[in-house]
Amino acid sequence: MSDEVVRIDRFSLVDITPATRDFIRVDPQKCTGCGACVVICPMDLWKMREGRACLAEDYRSKCMECGSCFIACEYAALDFSYPPAGEGISYRYA
Amino acid sequence: MAESYDLIVVGAGPGGSIAAKTAAESGMKVLLLERSRTPGEKNVSGFGLTSKAYRDFPWLKKMELPSMRVCRKCVGHFLSPPPELDERVCLYSGPSRRISYPEGREFFTVMMLRREFDEYLAGEAVSAGAELRTLSLVTGLVRESGRVAGVLLEGGDEFRAPVVIGADGALSAVARLAGIREKWRPDEVVSVCCIDYSASRERLDWVIDDAAFHGFFGPGIGGNYFMCMAEGVHLGGPGVGNSLVSRLNRRRIKPARELLDTIKAPSCRNLLKAVDAVPREWQAHLLPWLDRMPTNIFGPGVMLVGDAAGLPEPIWAEGVWQAMYSGRLAAEVALEAVDEKDASHASMRRYLERLEKSPVGRDFIGGTQMRNLFELLGDERFFGELTEMAVDLFVAMFMNGQEVHSEAMARFLPILAENLPVLMEVGRIYAPVLLEAYSGAVRDKLQLLKGLGAIFSGMAGTAQGGGKGGSQPGGEAS
Ligand SMILES: Cc1cc2nc3c(=O)[nH]c(=O)nc-3n(C[C@H](O)[C@H](O)[C@H](O)COP(=O)(O)OP(=O)(O)OC[C@H]3O[C@@H](n4cnc5c(N)ncnc54)[C@H](O)[C@@H]3O)c2cc1C
Repeated sequence: MSDEVVRIDRFSLVDITPATRDFIRVDPQKCTGCGACVVICPMDLWKMREGRACLAEDYRSKCMECGSCFIACEYAALDFSYPPAGEGISYRYA
Repeated sequence: MAESYDLIVVGAGPGGSIAAKTAAESGMKVLLLERSRTPGEKNVSGFGLTSKAYRDFPWLKKMELPSMRVCRKCVGHFLSPPPELDERVCLYSGPSRRISYPEGREFFTVMMLRREFDEYLAGEAVSAGAELRTLSLVTGLVRESGRVAGVLLEGGDEFRAPVVIGADGALSAVARLAGIREKWRPDEVVSVCCIDYSASRERLDWVIDDAAFHGFFGPGIGGNYFMCMAEGVHLGGPGVGNSLVSRLNRRRIKPARELLDTIKAPSCRNLLKAVDAVPREWQAHLLPWLDRMPTNIFGPGVMLVGDAAGLPEPIWAEGVWQAMYSGRLAAEVALEAVDEKDASHASMRRYLERLEKSPVGRDFIGGTQMRNLFELLGDERFFGELTEMAVDLFVAMFMNGQEVHSEAMARFLPILAENLPVLMEVGRIYAPVLLEAYSGAVRDKLQLLKGLGAIFSGMAGTAQGGGKGGSQPGGEAS
């Protein structure tokens, strides 16, 4: 019996209208490379590159707007606001 | 030209819609602003509406939504450490007979989709006369002589009102713009993910029926759960015991992985299979989880309610009833402020004072210890010992067909003695909770006596023909 209940492809299970402007900003000067954002992101949109946090280029069409990275960053290197009204994540079954 | 209102509410979640409804019913001109296309589109929850909400908002009893399933039983699965995740204890129970109000004795929660619930509540606010504007992202506040006096939308629209209620959730822009709080500390929030599954209604009725909440506890699992609606199941976690900080400290694998680990427990996976569950949506949301009632929740011309204020309770981080309750209180204070034409800091302070005395505020008594207890439940040593003690005691007393009954029963006291360290650890948490609750009650009684004393001395003063100061509760007259 196939394990349907445990096969989760996150990216195919979200409905996101890509945002038309940026809504997460990183200040590479302040980033210490602690990696908290990398651990916490539910979509794995952060990677470490040369000791600094680096956000996926296509995050505007993948971010769920939970803001976990913004709270997890204790060095004020990361700014987060919501995408424009009507854009971004849309939950049908939340 | 900016349009003017008596009250502007930012965010049409449960907190905002109840605030708007309450204010509009009192005849205020209310604007309710929501960034999404329809209320509820952005909001993730379990979601179980607790019986408290039905007690305090009786009109909810007429609400019928397609996704509803009443939860009359809760099931707690206590598992052995991974990789086995074997079920060691299972607690299956209905509400206690001792709950103080009838709805609470009848059911725990009603499960439903936030999409439907939030839309329903916003509809109630509109029916009461509030103006709802969706697709409206608040990005600025209007200030007037040091007070908040309105809001700005992205795109430039401006609306004015003597009072603004920030009901805009965990990442509140109003809190930030009003200078009340830049952001939560990582130990003040949990980041929760959910997998929503479609499921067969018929199977759910057979297999789950009204036992709509299943919690999975164990070392390395830490309070994940699933809850069942009419035709769907939400698997959520990491739940309690997992603030952002504890997550980061443990460097646990990704949230998605963590949730999937729960499904590895046979008790969880088999139930999902039995109801024909098929993954339908992946969700993530931030949730404040504080151990003390926050006090920086207002300013001149502004009040924060619900998640924006950090009001989810300290054990499960339940927050919808809290949002509704605080929303109503804030609207009442706003009404008084508008009537008295005084939205000053002192005037808004009434909101905090009333909230602290309300059941929402009192739910934070002993909060630090309760939060600790839940963190402890994720602790391998502690948790394992407690679970196995429960198994030992239960089996020794009742379920023992393996040994001579009297000999097994004689083991009862030695088992307790052996587990004294764990029991004392529980006591170490439990005692301060009691102490705090009790000392609060004593303080209240003393306050009452002082108040009565003041009244009596005031009356004595009046009887002597003093005339003045009789109604002053402060007691300066004496
Ligand atoms: C996974 C999960 C499970 C949960 N389970 C339960 C449960 O079973 N029972 C329970 O009682 N609680 C539960 N909670 C907690 C509950 O969801 C929250 O406490 C509750 O939603 C708070 O309500 P609110 O009205 O304060 O904020 P929210 O519901 O967050 O509503 C805020 C609203 O403001 C809007 N908004 C935000 N910013 C802006 C802006 N700048 N401009 C305009 N609009 C804006 C948002 O779109 C949103 O509609 C759960 C939470 C999570 C994350």
